[in-house]
Amino acid sequence: MDDYSSSVCYTDFDDEGLETIKRYKPRSLEELANRTKFSKKEIQLIYQGFKQECPSGIVNEQTFKHIYGQFFPFADTSSYAHLIFGTFDLRSSGCVTFEDFLVCLSTLCRGSLEDRLRWIFQLYDTKKSGKLTQDDFHLIVCAVYSLLGNVSSPRYDLETIREHTVTVFQRFDKLHQGYITIQDFMSFCLNEPTIVQSIDGLRTTV
Amino acid sequence: MASVAAWLPFARAAAIGWVPLAKNPLPPPPFRIPTSGGSPSSPSTSTTSASATTVGERRCDEKLIINISGRRFECWRSTLEKYPDSLLGSNEKEFFYDEDTHEYFFDRDPDVFRVILNFYRTGKLHYPKHECIAAYDEELAFFGILPDIIGDCCYEDYRDRKRENTERLIDDRLHEDEDKTQPKPQSIRETMWRAFENPQVSTMASVFYYVTGFFIAVSVIANVLDTVACGPDPETGYPRSCGERFSRQFFCLDTACVMIFTVEYFLRLYAAPDRLKFVRSVMSVIDVVAIMPYYIGLFMNQKGEVSGAFVTLRVFRVFRIFKFSRHSQGLRVLGYTLKSCASELGFLLFSLTMAIIIFATVMYYAEKSVVHTKFTSIPAAFWYTIVTMTTLGYGDMVPKTWAGKLVGGVCSLSGVLVIALPVPVIVSNFSRIYHQSQRADKMKAQRKARQIRIRLARNATSNAFVAAKRRREQHSDDPNSSAEKNFVNPFELQHHHLLRCLELTTDREFIEMGPDALMSSGAGTSLIPGSNAMAGLGRFASPTSHFLLNRRKWWCCGPRRRRKNSYKLSADRANNINNANNSGDEFDEELVDLRVPSSLTPRTSLTLSHNVTAINVIPPPPEQQKQLLQTSTTSITIPSLLQHDVVLHSNVLSPLLSAYNRFDLNYPFDKGSRNQLNRKANSLTTVYEHGSTNETTVDELLLKPDVGRVRSPSSITDYASHRLTNTSLIVDEQETVKITNKK
Repeated sequence: MDDYSSSVCYTDFDDEGLETIKRYKPRSLEELANRTKFSKKEIQLIYQGFKQECPSGIVNEQTFKHIYGQFFPFADTSSYAHLIFGTFDLRSSGCVTFEDFLVCLSTLCRGSLEDRLRWIFQLYDTKKSGKLTQDDFHLIVCAVYSLLGNVSSPRYDLETIREHTVTVFQRFDKLHQGYITIQDFMSFCLNEPTIVQSIDGLRTTV
Repeated sequence: MASVAAWLPFARAAAIGWVPLAKNPLPPPPFRIPTSGGSPSSPSTSTTSASATTVGERRCDEKLIINISGRRFECWRSTLEKYPDSLLGSNEKEFFYDEDTHEYFFDRDPDVFRVILNFYRTGKLHYPKHECIAAYDEELAFFGILPDIIGDCCYEDYRDRKRENTERLIDDRLHEDEDKTQPKPQSIRETMWRAFENPQVSTMASVFYYVTGFFIAVSVIANVLDTVACGPDPETGYPRSCGERFSRQFFCLDTACVMIFTVEYFLRLYAAPDRLKFVRSVMSVIDVVAIMPYYIGLFMNQKGEVSGAFVTLRVFRVFRIFKFSRHSQGLRVLGYTLKSCASELGFLLFSLTMAIIIFATVMYYAEKSVVHTKFTSIPAAFWYTIVTMTTLGYGDMVPKTWAGKLVGGVCSLSGVLVIALPVPVIVSNFSRIYHQSQRADKMKAQRKARQIRIRLARNATSNAFVAAKRRREQHSDDPNSSAEKNFVNPFELQHHHLLRCLELTTDREFIEMGPDALMSSGAGTSLIPGSNAMAGLGRFASPTSHFLLNRRKWWCCGPRRRRKNSYKLSADRANNINNANNSGDEFDEELVDLRVPSSLTPRTSLTLSHNVTAINVIPPPPEQQKQLLQTSTTSITIPSLLQHDVVLHSNVLSPLLSAYNRFDLNYPFDKGSRNQLNRKANSLTTVYEHGSTNETTVDELLLKPDVGRVRSPSSITDYASHRLTNTSLIVDEQETVKITNKK
């Protein structure tokens, strides 16, 4: 039905084949237990949850957003989920398999502090340029605020976010170079006890 | 929500991304986490060795127990291994193996699993007709079975149901998108185009719609009346048509109509997003055909209405009636039906032609012998055949010989049959399309209401969650209320902790949405800026509102409250210093700023809610606490239990001032009084189980003067996503990625 004749659209469905769904399975429990720092029971638990949400065995960005959205009431998780997906997608293929997921999770939950700081740097560095600019910070701050949704008090707006970005960036950018390299980032974070403590506080048992 | 619980570690782990941005240090985790490092590896090695032996044992055939949500199925291992690329046939099922009970546990639907297990046993996958197609598909996807394997007995049914479902979903989604993705049109062109396509959009559009409709009708009627006999010609005495008599008037009318049509056509052409496509579309062709004759007639030499071409052109004026199809949906449905039934119509035509030729030929030769027969040639006999087959029977051509009559009889009988055959197909097509369009209209009308209901339900859940979280926080801060802490759900604890981290990172706090906000647009309400906690400036808004609110309360509930409130405030401040949970520096900064302690900024009100425990200093029962604001300070009194009762009582009577949020009013923190309030509140607000029985009308009204700029919340996420999509991801050297992978 051409668009210009009416606003009603009729679907004339003729039989086409089912779309082929890619199915993916991880190789074996033991192999995963060896590669990562999780115990078998933990991997089992994680896999059960994974499979429940994504029966086809791979996660795409949409599912990430949906899952994240279940944890944050009122939130719009698309931007933060997009950033996280970028770091989990090790092969830049647009989908994350269970193995990728588990490996990244192992780094995040059981990795050393340096590894986790490196992950954070990767998260911020969307352009993969090795340097963080204020724009990168702005992006991530916007994403974090959007996790709040708009039912928080006090309310916030773009101004608040910009101010927050500037404050944080200036804390990191001691030399006022306008960008932050990974070494600066890591050394700064390692020297800040609050940051170290907070990162430790987010460890989880499975 | 066990599956979501399994994702919680992921959500929490990803949250370390917030840490460098945090304005406040994040709280410690809810319970001691065993120091990792060496510990996970040792259990895993032991289990690997254990499972290695058990794997070895399992080589020979054995019976496996599969526990699906309580229903146990037993089967041989070899049965399952028949299909090694499915979940049950491969070692993917090891992920679901429960060591303690030695069975495979899946938390899925047992009824559908029966069908799936039968597939392994018999090799044929059936589709149970009473199952919802979507649920069935999900189960198949989970167990890794392709739906193509469904046996022939059930395959047709499955495909039909699936197609129906997909069609319906696509339709719905299309209409949803239509409604949803209507951002404010950026330019005049877009506004015009929208107005043309959907006349309900604005009054201008409707006016335009009706005006054009009117002119089409006028033009068609004029065309018709043009030929009516109007009285004899004064010169020749012959009757002449109205068109000849009032030729000037008709000409003016015609000109006016064509003007309107031309203007409309050019406006549409200008507004169309894709002009080429517009020009080729059916409606535009009709438009052109409707107005072209007029212009051609203008430019041609007018030698009366004698020239044949001119007359032919006037015929085309009747096509203006097709312009009505923009105005009538039924016409469009009919047109679409005919288009979609083109093959049936073609068949009908073809078979009719065949029959006509056959019968005409036979008729001609049968009647050839008759003198002065009307059947002079085979084409002349065509007319007779058509008239007979369609059972018209004019009677201008009649067979005279008995052979001719025989043929004529057969002809009329077969005519009925041939025409009756394709008609049901056309009718059923029409019916299907018509019902589809009806359904689309009905869905559109119901959809808005349905969306609102869905959003309400979702927000109610979120509200309840936020309230539960706050309750938990108060209980955790208050050592006296250990009795409340009966069962601690670790998942919930961790989830609350995660949200708390988010709050502290951004220096905001989750509040429950009021029913007004929920009704209006749910998650899509506009942000009201101002009251920026970090800068002291935004707070100018709040004191006024607090003041007004307090005024009201004062009038409502008497002076006793004030004193109690002041006590609470100063006690809180005293306790603030001891409270390491919240960031000390920000507090002090804001507390110092407080000229009038009544102006509780959002931040301090934050503490107040959390430091309900401050009341413990002098023990009135903590569950009787209410957070109140006041206009004056300083006096400290010890509230007596009697006062509490009074306060509670009067509070209950005025549910208008009952809970909303920490900004202002009496927020009864304990469940008892809140439930009481809930019961007394009106029916609308009792939908929400916790203290969100707020009449935010008061709140919103008072906050309205603060609205400077109102932005839609999507602006921020849109902004972020706009930035994200604009950045080009340069896939860098794999080095940076590999580093994390090494461990």
